[in-house]
Amino acid sequence: MENLNLEIITLITGVILVLIGIWGLLTQKNLIKIVIGFTLFDTGIHIIMVSIGYVKNRTAPIIDQSVNINDVGNSVVDPVPQALVLTAIVIGLGVTALMLTYVLKMYQKRKSLEINNYNDLKW
Amino acid sequence: MVGPIYIIAIALGTAFSLGFFKKANSNFSFAFMLFAMAFMTFISGQWLYAFLTQQQETIQIFTAGFKPPFSISLQMGLHESVFLSLINIIGLLAAIYLYDQFREKGVQMMMVFVLLFMGLNVVIMTRDIFNLFVFLEIASIATAGLIILDKSINATSAGFKYIIATAIISGILLIGIIAIYYFAGSLFINDIIKLNLIYVKGGAVAVFLVLIAIILELKPFPANGWALDVYEAAHPGIGAIISAASASAGIFVLAKILPIVGDSGYYIIGLIGIITFLGSNLLGLKQDKANRLLGYSSIGQIGLLLTIIGLTPYLGDKTLFIAFGVLISHALAKAGLFWLAGIVNSEYIKGWAAIRRNPLLLVLMGTFIFALVGFPPFPSFFAKWELIMQLANNDKIIWLALILIGSFIEGIYLFRWFGYAIKEKNEDLPEFPIKLNKVIPVSIVAAGLYLIGYYTGLAIPEAAIINYIPLLFIVIIFALDFLPAYVKNSISIIGLAYYSYTIIPAYFENDMLRFIFVVIFLVGGILTFIAGYAYKGKRRGFYPVALIMYVGLVQIIQAENLLQFFFGWELMTAGSYFLIIRGKKSMAHALSYMLFSMGGAYLILAGFALAQQGQMSLSLDVLSSLSNNVFIIISLLMIGFLTKTATLGLHIWLPGAHGEAESDVSPMVSAILLKAGVFGLIILLTSTIKNIETVSIVYILGWLGAITALIGNLGAAFQEDAKRLLAYSSIGQLGYIVFGLAMMTHLGWLTAFTYTINHFMYKAILFLTIGAVVLRVGTHNMYEMGGLIKKMPFAFIAVLIGIIALAGVPPLSGFTGKWLLYNAVILKGWYFQGAIAFFAGIIAFLYLFKLISSIFLGQLKDNHRNVKEISIWFIIPIYILIIGLMIFAAKPELILQPMGDIIAQYFPDGRLNWDGGLATTPIGNWHGTHIMIIIGVMFMLLLTWLVVLSRKAQKVKQFNIVYSGERPFTPETTHISYNIFAGYNKALGFLVMPWITNFWNFMSDIIHDTAGFVRRIYSGNGQTYLAHIIIYIVVVYFVFFN
Amino acid sequence: MVKNSLIFIVLIGFAVLLADLFVGFNGNTDLNTLANHYAVSGPEEVGSANLVTAVVVTYRGLDTLGEVTILFLAAAIVSFLLKVEAGASLNRKLRSTSEILDTASRILVPVIFLFGIYVFINGHLSPGGGFQGGAIIASGLVLMLLAQPAKEVGHKLITLVESISGISFVLIGVAGVLFAAGFLDNKLLSLGKFGTIFSAGVIPIIYIFVGLKVGAELSGIITNLHENQNEA
Repeated sequence: MENLNLEIITLITGVILVLIGIWGLLTQKNLIKIVIGFTLFDTGIHIIMVSIGYVKNRTAPIIDQSVNINDVGNSVVDPVPQALVLTAIVIGLGVTALMLTYVLKMYQKRKSLEINNYNDLKW
Repeated sequence: MVGPIYIIAIALGTAFSLGFFKKANSNFSFAFMLFAMAFMTFISGQWLYAFLTQQQETIQIFTAGFKPPFSISLQMGLHESVFLSLINIIGLLAAIYLYDQFREKGVQMMMVFVLLFMGLNVVIMTRDIFNLFVFLEIASIATAGLIILDKSINATSAGFKYIIATAIISGILLIGIIAIYYFAGSLFINDIIKLNLIYVKGGAVAVFLVLIAIILELKPFPANGWALDVYEAAHPGIGAIISAASASAGIFVLAKILPIVGDSGYYIIGLIGIITFLGSNLLGLKQDKANRLLGYSSIGQIGLLLTIIGLTPYLGDKTLFIAFGVLISHALAKAGLFWLAGIVNSEYIKGWAAIRRNPLLLVLMGTFIFALVGFPPFPSFFAKWELIMQLANNDKIIWLALILIGSFIEGIYLFRWFGYAIKEKNEDLPEFPIKLNKVIPVSIVAAGLYLIGYYTGLAIPEAAIINYIPLLFIVIIFALDFLPAYVKNSISIIGLAYYSYTIIPAYFENDMLRFIFVVIFLVGGILTFIAGYAYKGKRRGFYPVALIMYVGLVQIIQAENLLQFFFGWELMTAGSYFLIIRGKKSMAHALSYMLFSMGGAYLILAGFALAQQGQMSLSLDVLSSLSNNVFIIISLLMIGFLTKTATLGLHIWLPGAHGEAESDVSPMVSAILLKAGVFGLIILLTSTIKNIETVSIVYILGWLGAITALIGNLGAAFQEDAKRLLAYSSIGQLGYIVFGLAMMTHLGWLTAFTYTINHFMYKAILFLTIGAVVLRVGTHNMYEMGGLIKKMPFAFIAVLIGIIALAGVPPLSGFTGKWLLYNAVILKGWYFQGAIAFFAGIIAFLYLFKLISSIFLGQLKDNHRNVKEISIWFIIPIYILIIGLMIFAAKPELILQPMGDIIAQYFPDGRLNWDGGLATTPIGNWHGTHIMIIIGVMFMLLLTWLVVLSRKAQKVKQFNIVYSGERPFTPETTHISYNIFAGYNKALGFLVMPWITNFWNFMSDIIHDTAGFVRRIYSGNGQTYLAHIIIYIVVVYFVFFN
Repeated sequence: MVKNSLIFIVLIGFAVLLADLFVGFNGNTDLNTLANHYAVSGPEEVGSANLVTAVVVTYRGLDTLGEVTILFLAAAIVSFLLKVEAGASLNRKLRSTSEILDTASRILVPVIFLFGIYVFINGHLSPGGGFQGGAIIASGLVLMLLAQPAKEVGHKLITLVESISGISFVLIGVAGVLFAAGFLDNKLLSLGKFGTIFSAGVIPIIYIFVGLKVGAELSGIITNLHENQNEA
């Protein structure tokens, strides 16, 4: 188990989530499940992002009692991916809200959640 | 100057404040939003102005008070300012256009609209890769919001497909960006570029993910079904924004991240681009819905842009110019077309026939179509020219060919659509309201196309010498289109006369060869315009397009370099297309004319490109110093020119186009226009006379010419339609000209010139006369005419003289040609080909007899009892031409002697010897004046003799004959000359079976069926589209990265 | 089945791609230059104890502005799409909720709101910030709507908060251009004493607006979805 560091485990988890998300996106016929597929995909990416910013045996990039103010550079993990993931999460939230709203509207109009029932536009 | 950061501040401030006015006065909120858009446009515009005129340096804008890479920075340079200005102007116009929608739908959509443009602005300026991601997301989400503007079920489901597809794409982008951060330790693009991540293990994959995500945002074929659905379902005003503004920003982003990818990216992008360009245009062929068709075309154009970016290593410093020309034409024209779609409000392209209720809209549509296809004077024309030249210079022949093929396919559906707009029946189509706020934006982008086109032209030295004043004259004529026809007719005649006055004398002094053609074009133009006085009303649109053709023709003559020649050639094609499509049933014929012309033009373009390869010059002289690919170049150019001379195989457009044209247009497009092809051939052959390859090519050309003469004449003999008969006859006559040129001897060329002049005169006479008759009797069908000799004696005499000349019977000038032809053939020794040509000459008698007998002789039809002589306005030009014909017949030496001197420069041997009026060849002699006198005297004697003989003859009136109470209902079965040559048809009819038409139809069917089959990949299922995206990523990855 | 196996193959292909991407990844042992700069000079330059906040609000302030904009966009589009057209009321049928939930929510909701405000006010000192605080406030609203489905939430108030806080955010940014070194510059106000509530320049102020704005936007989305729901 020596090679399996924390960040590797989370990274692999993230990748697997991404793949599961894509699988859901491509195989599920229910619109809501497709949206769930997307959120899995998105969450997977967020986990990947956080894993990439991790530095072994360090703490969160917040200067409090656990961090030596004179040696911050050697005691915290990378704050950048954490900042980016915050942005990404918010964006993902916005996108998910929109998807669900569109699904809701589609359902209201046609009373169906099957993606196969929305093939009017083609060729 | 106002800093670019205020673009963000203004847009956001506006969007956030709009919330205050939620239910309040929507006009006020609209004005507020419009002000914000105007201010953004102003900021970008002033920077563009500064960069263009004041040597402004590129600036970096730091945020948060720190320098990059620690903070996000923006950049404002020339390129940024160009793109920002383009996008913001489109945004401003789009806002005006969408006024009604915004008012109706409320304030939220205005917020979304402003934020979309803010997103696009930042996407262009930012130099931080994660910031790029964030603002791309803003743009995507805003777009998804605008798609559902009308809340219909289709729009909503298209919006869902869009949002889920872009979400996946940005997820991929995000993975790439975070990986790039891991490998580069920075998000600042300038830093990342320096690191050459592509050589780092894993780094290459990260870069690939970013690249492919950006490419997917640009909707590459075939992973673009989601975008097509959006184009179809969204409001056209939104389609315009996606196609014009968002796609431009996407292209800029691609260019921005390209340095990260390094040189290896070019190949991928080029390949993806060309596949998209070809694939998208191919599938567009089967599309009959306007918005979706525009979607296909948009994606195709972006594919072309990707191709251009991918070809950067070969295009060098021309890349920017080319990409700019294509992009600006695409953006403005596509925005204009989408906006028009919103005005016309017809789902299917056939319904666009409604657009001609408003001529201005039709003109605007034409502007956009021609700009998209790349006609002059639009920026795309010059861009395409440079593109093809550069590709040839770098020996990228396959790329060159593929780009031309793609453009051709795009032309097919665009011109089909335009044809529907001009010609498809529109009686029962709904009228549509025309609102000023919708028409103004469309007009502005159209004006922009002309203006930018003019300035792009100035950027190329060879194009800068083009004389735009005649085009300005056309604009004025167009502006005066509301005046009655006779006024415009006079102005046009004066214009052409002045034009002739300024240029013809110089050619007469220096260049007899060009003199002949310029006289045919300009004097012919004036004469045919005289006939125009016969038309009442306004004749909307006729004069500008006719003048475009004439200006184009003269440009061809005046051209000093290849670009100028091609400019004139395309102008001429455009003008003649409009002339042809004016005819009654001309929709299909005009399309086929346009397709052959476009195909021909592209061959000529390719030929020119190969010819100038390595010669560092675009002068026409390059044709005379060809060294590489000579055979291919000559063949390409020759086939290109032969499309205009309607030589066998390329002739199927002609009968319909000439036959259905208006009465005074037929002579324009027949007697005059076809000579452009002849002129092209002459330029080509005189230049390549020394090339050994010419010998074998002209041998084939000779056979082609002879067979064309035969088939053309045979076709004419079996026609029942008078104008189609003349049209087929033109094919035959042009066959003689080509045959004469192909002999490559002094006499052969003299023959060709004689035929050229003759054909101009007698075909003009015949078409004008028959056209005038048709105007009186209201039918083209000869079996519905007859006995008109007494009603129209002037017409009869004109036709009589015309057919005597055409038949080559002494004493008229047709005999001059024939005599020369016989001599030339015998001296050349082309007996087989000569025999075919002679035989064709005999067949000419058949159709000419049929023409005059069935129209003027025999029984007068009941309903023609009151017809009058043809209009005086036709008689004048006809008799002027007859006088010319007589002079040429009696005194051929006046023209043929100086012509001989010219030809002797190229073919000094075997000249025709002149001794006063007596022409001598090694095998005989002939004197035009003497023959004229002898035949004239014989004619008078015979006439007198006949008059004396028939003094006592009883005149039988028509109604002396009794019909036995029967009235014939089918005029054709009672007309003596109907199917008069049935016997010949049995013997030779197989020669005129529509083999060639069938061949072209077969080709067309194959292409359309392929398109119909392939486009089924767009199943309409959002999930399938997602699968396309993922498969696309994986496939591209494994093809290029392993 | 053929289709699913095809998808499976494509997924494997995609997995290979991701494997290629991360094959060299073995965790970090040190900060890169950029992160090190943030860690070492951040406290001094920005004055925020929470380095993530320093990056989010100041160094990458433009991203945050974009983020807020995205939420704003989403809220606007949701409200546009789900707007109940005048006259065409949905005739909602809602189940009544239990007494326990109702009572508990009355106690909890104010506390949740308060907690949300605490989180965004202390965004520069402790974990959390405007987005987190805003989300907490919105979650309070969710609880409220679950407990009292028939309750009408004032759209006007939401819009007002949303707009005012958004404009203020932009104005602070512009003030940075006018009075300090650039858009969204933090040193518009003095950095104060490190580690106290009134420190870190304009960060707390921005985070208050972000918190209010996010809270308002999420609430807007939730109320819109809620009003369209129809349990029968």
